[in-house]
Amino acid sequence: MIVRLKYSKTTEGRFMSHLDLLRTMERVFRRAKLPLAFSQGFNPHPKISFGSALAVGVTSEGEYVDVELTRELPLEQIKESLDVAMPSAVKILEIKKIDTRKQGLMAVINVARYQVEIPMLGSISQAEFDEALTKVWQVPTYQVERRGKRGIRQVDIKQGIFSLVGQVIDDKIKIEMELQTGSKGNVKPEEVVKMIKELCEIPLGENMRIHREGLYIKVDGKLITPMAI
Amino acid sequence: MNRLKDFVEDEILSNVTKPLRYVGNEYNVVKKEWESVKLRTLFAFPDLYEVGMSHLGMRILYHLVNEQKDYLMERVFAPWTDMEQILRERKIPLFSLESYHPIKEFDCIGFTLQYEMSYTNILNMLELGGIPLEAAQRSNDDPLIMAGGPCTCNPEPLADFFDFFVIGEGENVILEVLQTITEHRQKREGKQEKNILLHDLAQIPGVYVPVFYEDKYNEDGSFREIKVEEQGIAPRVVKRTIKDLDESYFPLKPIVPYIEIVHDRIMLEVLRGCTRGCRFCQAGMIYRPVRERSKELLVKQAEELVTTTGYNEISLTSLSTSDHSTVKELVNDLTEKYKEDRIGVSLPSLRVDSFSMDLAKEIQQVRKTGLTFAPEAGTQRLRDVINKGVTEENLMEVTDSAFKAGWSHIKLYFMLGLPTETFEDLDGIVDLAYKVLRKGIDIMKEQKRGRQPKVTISVSSFVPKPHTPFQWEPQDTLEVLQEKQRYIKDKIRDRRIVYNYHDAPLSFLEAVFAKGDRRLGQVLKKAWEGGCKFDSWTEHFQYNVWQQVFEECKYDPQKIAYRRGEFTDNLPWDHLDMGVSKKFLWRERDRAYEAAVTGDCRFNNCSVCGVCQNLDVQLMIRKDEKGR
Ligand code: SF4
Repeated sequence: MIVRLKYSKTTEGRFMSHLDLLRTMERVFRRAKLPLAFSQGFNPHPKISFGSALAVGVTSEGEYVDVELTRELPLEQIKESLDVAMPSAVKILEIKKIDTRKQGLMAVINVARYQVEIPMLGSISQAEFDEALTKVWQVPTYQVERRGKRGIRQVDIKQGIFSLVGQVIDDKIKIEMELQTGSKGNVKPEEVVKMIKELCEIPLGENMRIHREGLYIKVDGKLITPMAI
Repeated sequence: MNRLKDFVEDEILSNVTKPLRYVGNEYNVVKKEWESVKLRTLFAFPDLYEVGMSHLGMRILYHLVNEQKDYLMERVFAPWTDMEQILRERKIPLFSLESYHPIKEFDCIGFTLQYEMSYTNILNMLELGGIPLEAAQRSNDDPLIMAGGPCTCNPEPLADFFDFFVIGEGENVILEVLQTITEHRQKREGKQEKNILLHDLAQIPGVYVPVFYEDKYNEDGSFREIKVEEQGIAPRVVKRTIKDLDESYFPLKPIVPYIEIVHDRIMLEVLRGCTRGCRFCQAGMIYRPVRERSKELLVKQAEELVTTTGYNEISLTSLSTSDHSTVKELVNDLTEKYKEDRIGVSLPSLRVDSFSMDLAKEIQQVRKTGLTFAPEAGTQRLRDVINKGVTEENLMEVTDSAFKAGWSHIKLYFMLGLPTETFEDLDGIVDLAYKVLRKGIDIMKEQKRGRQPKVTISVSSFVPKPHTPFQWEPQDTLEVLQEKQRYIKDKIRDRRIVYNYHDAPLSFLEAVFAKGDRRLGQVLKKAWEGGCKFDSWTEHFQYNVWQQVFEECKYDPQKIAYRRGEFTDNLPWDHLDMGVSKKFLWRERDRAYEAAVTGDCRFNNCSVCGVCQNLDVQLMIRKDEKGR
């Protein structure tokens, strides 16, 4: 059977790299005595596949992973044994059985929602801030540099920004953003912040806090969660 | 609870490499209420988290102490330079991983001395914790600073900085030490009187309090003697030894780190000690006698560890695992039992013989990427000198079998600068490398494998170590070592042979600190002040600073490393008794010069090294079957 887990990655969990997480998941399933399925071949590895990778330093309350087991087991039992075996950095929020692995998580997830908090160096009003974001919103394209295997290339991220809402709270601003993710393109919240900094004159500090609220699948303009498909 | 923790996580960790080195909270971590215990202790490892967490001794002591109701033990490691810089800039004292308490607030801090070149990190950590470096400078309110580990068999270069050392195997001693400290304080309403306390501690067998001993020197600056100068203190401290490994504590719920550490697997300690008797090897002398853990217990422990850790690999660790009398059965049982679950079994090193090779085949060691053997010297004559019971025939046999079984990469370890070495012996290293390579070429061609074999030769430099038959031997000078390194390099002209060698100045300093006396403490301090730390990391090693400091301190390191000693010489570690007698060591040194081999007492007669006679211990072999 294949189980899909929705989990959060908070406190120290944010510093786990993708590889740390992969190793940890395998160990968690082993500690929980759940029968992992393995790939065939010379060097078999457990069939664990993640949704979109989370950058180191980012917290999240909506990450997903599919894990294949060799036997059917009641979901409650799986959840219970995983809870005991899980280190404190990761928490399971929901669990669901997936019928077949029609499409990998990576292939279907295409939207990520973030909350970004940035300290302000000066002060601005909510109205000024709204105005600034509108200005950002109206720009037709925005190029960022990406370092890839074949050197540096220019990528337009504007098309991958689906929504942008901001709030001024005391000496901080908080921005909620809905960004493209997945195999068709990926926009990073840091890039959007850079864009705001460059296009508007808002005195923003350095140490921002990024939180991923969740990953979604956008179908016909509607967002559904990976637990709903 | 903790504001420091939040601050560190929010403001600092995003700016350092591998933030999880500094967080704690791993699976199986033990967190005890600070106020609920009588004594708070800290295990300090003077290297990075990834190195320290791989250390079996730490795993043992951490869980042993934490299982006691009255004590807690937390952990701290050397912060990498990026973290150190931020700690200094923000004036944050070095803190423990469990509760984020500044290390200064602990009652007792225990460092482990695993290698000499980590000593500067100890000073750095103390200073980052705001703790006065010298024992004499610390008040009754400062933590007690203690150390254990192999380098305590000559801890003199660190004597100024430590209140006491634990000599030998620490599992039993540690609880006696903590109890003595607790009782001392209870009698004084929580207060401590260090001089009285140290006196009490020194009554525990295996505890060495350096301040009670005085070192003396001759007029020409050479070492004269070290003698106890305090009433009621033993003139010699005898190492502690565990009699029965089955009876001794072993942690069954070890911490499982989030990040990858050096030994990221279950470590099952199958035996302790080694009596093969290699004459350069300190571990083989100071951890005698051999005590095996029984197969039944090991299988049980493995089962437990598999469920508590979730690791997919069980490493059978010890100084010489393939010497365990029932290793074959053990490997069989474990591989069978865990095949389904895809949990592998591994051996840390392989003896050069067909028995070990069979084991390797059975467990598919390292998934056919590489196999490592240690002939240590290039000719039979020199291998006899060092008592390494390996023949060229053995080596050709195992490599033949390895290539045939599908391996294509063989790594060979050698040592350069061994006593009596000549250029003929160096030619021997090169010859062996070529012979193994040719064998690989032939076999792989025959088997029509489309790849080329690879032979790596890793050559370290001989470092004379205390409590070994070679403790009286001079190290080759830097120039000679470097010449020898080049000599080998020039002779290797095949790109399928990879040649690695160690930094010679580092080996020189290692010899100085291994064999040095108390006066080195001030050299160490000055070098640290000059910016030395993480010396064993090439990118941080500053030999020029060390050179300057030796000159400033008017301490000639060559007189330590290059000195040829006599049996009658007093040595700076003569007051520390590792069980193996000086007479035995000298006899072994004589035999080395005759190229006479001394047999392993497990399979031959007792060679009367002194351990069993002096320490009331004995060999513990689980299966009564001598020789194979
Ligand atoms: S005293 Fe004899 S039996 Fe014991 S370790 Fe030494 S050589 Fe071996």
